[in-house]
Amino acid sequence: MIRFDSICKKFRGRPAVDGVSFEVGRGEIFGLLGHNGAGKSTTFGIALGHVHADSGQVHINGHDVASARASALARVGAIFETPAFYDYLSGWKNLRFFVSLSGPVPQIRMEEVIRLVGLEDRIHDPVRTYSHGMRQRLALAQALLPDPELIILDEPTEGLDPAGIHEMRSLIRDLRTRHGLTVILSSHLLHEVEQLCDRVAILHRGSIAFCGRWQDAGSGRARWILETQDSEKCPVVLAGLGIVIHGDGTLILPENFDPAEVVRTLVMAGVRVREFRKSSRTLEDFYLETTG
Amino acid sequence: MMFLQQFSGELLKLFARKRTYIGFAAFLGVEILILLLLNLDHVRRSISRVIEDAGYPAEDYLSGLTLAFLVLLWSVFLLGSLYLALVAGDVVSKEVEDGTMRMMLCRPVSRRRILTLKLAAVLIYSFLLIWFVAITALIVGFIHSGAGGLFVFAPMERIFALHEFGPGFVRYFAGVFLMSLSLLTIPSIGFFLSCLDMKPAAATIGTLSFLFMDMILRNVPFFESLKPLFLTAHMSTWVHVFEYQIPWEKMAGDYAWLFAINATLVVLALAVFEQRDLKS
Repeated sequence: MIRFDSICKKFRGRPAVDGVSFEVGRGEIFGLLGHNGAGKSTTFGIALGHVHADSGQVHINGHDVASARASALARVGAIFETPAFYDYLSGWKNLRFFVSLSGPVPQIRMEEVIRLVGLEDRIHDPVRTYSHGMRQRLALAQALLPDPELIILDEPTEGLDPAGIHEMRSLIRDLRTRHGLTVILSSHLLHEVEQLCDRVAILHRGSIAFCGRWQDAGSGRARWILETQDSEKCPVVLAGLGIVIHGDGTLILPENFDPAEVVRTLVMAGVRVREFRKSSRTLEDFYLETTG
Repeated sequence: MMFLQQFSGELLKLFARKRTYIGFAAFLGVEILILLLLNLDHVRRSISRVIEDAGYPAEDYLSGLTLAFLVLLWSVFLLGSLYLALVAGDVVSKEVEDGTMRMMLCRPVSRRRILTLKLAAVLIYSFLLIWFVAITALIVGFIHSGAGGLFVFAPMERIFALHEFGPGFVRYFAGVFLMSLSLLTIPSIGFFLSCLDMKPAAATIGTLSFLFMDMILRNVPFFESLKPLFLTAHMSTWVHVFEYQIPWEKMAGDYAWLFAINATLVVLALAVFEQRDLKS
């Protein structure tokens, strides 16, 4: 659906993205992660033709964005972290204007999308009276018009309250399951990405540090959590086994090490073990490991 | 069809903003103010004296037509340039600053198309503003002084002419049309600056600074021989339509010069904007 081929972009001599390549298949929900300034927005900007890449190409549905922008973006919708609208116009007039740049859309389709994002009661009010969440929903409505196959969402949950985040998450899921859309999104809310995305790419200092299913990646060594009442003796005993325990109680066992041996050694040394369990690694853990 | 739909959207955006109407309101205020001041005895006497010194009866030429012409001559360039620069300076840079340009460019529409729509909207605004001033000045002038001959006095262009009502009326509208063409240079400069990577206020101030600087230099007596180099010298050519013998050749030359400048500015604006990276 969308393919990034070795895209590079420098701003004032400083690389913003450097050789970024990845591909997102039809019907996927794909997350683009990275610290602030890692190059996420530049990557999206290049995909939409807002930013000119120094080298490399982005293809959407087989069309090169740089040389055939109109064909490439014909079935693409996008929203940004701070959606911008004409505050003095109503939501409806804003939609009408943005949609006119793509082509004619029947009124019935507009009403359907407005209902989908839940703005039917306020659509004729001026946008200046909208809350941040409502603007975000209006932005989603404009991205869904006329009828995209690919949606690019740059920080879609930025500034939303927990209910708004939940609502946006459900909407994004619906877009794939009910409407068969491909979604590529960036977010700092790793928990959200974890719940939504099939695959992720992690951008670090402009380069791809990881791309794929994060659950399948890593060293294969499990992370464990140990809780004891003897915080002084415990690290010493574990050091004897060649294991380092971190301040938060997590430890990684050496390859093929029997976890029962840890408990046995600690108990034998008189350390009272309250809990010892395998930790399920989160996307956040993986992200922090990957970006150092 | 799609262009018309997009163009009507662009006009809707422009005319839905209150600030778009500031120019219209300000001009109406200025027209009324000028007419009130022209009502003062000693002001009226000094205008009458100029007409009478030329051997014509003042009461025949101190008419609504003359007052409307004076409003145009005295106010449109200075005040008009302010509002034209304000709207043209905003037209692209404000959208870039607010982020709506990026929203527009998420659509399968070229930058050239967007700029063409914006330029067309600004040109429509410019024409509307100038014709609004011209027609309201005429209406207010007729209400105030009634119909009569046209007295033209433009010292900078060394024009002194008196026309009967009929020919004067025709020349007034020809003058307004030519003035509209002349003043299109202002939105062209504003539009060009607006496409550069600068704030809307900077584009507006840049446009006005350039115009006023040009006008100041043009009026320095020692630079008389350099006059053809100054933009405002060509822009003021519309007044020549009020001369008894209209210098068509000179005027055509001036308009060709202005057209070349405007076209160059627009082409440069398109080229620069096409190359810009639009980031948050």
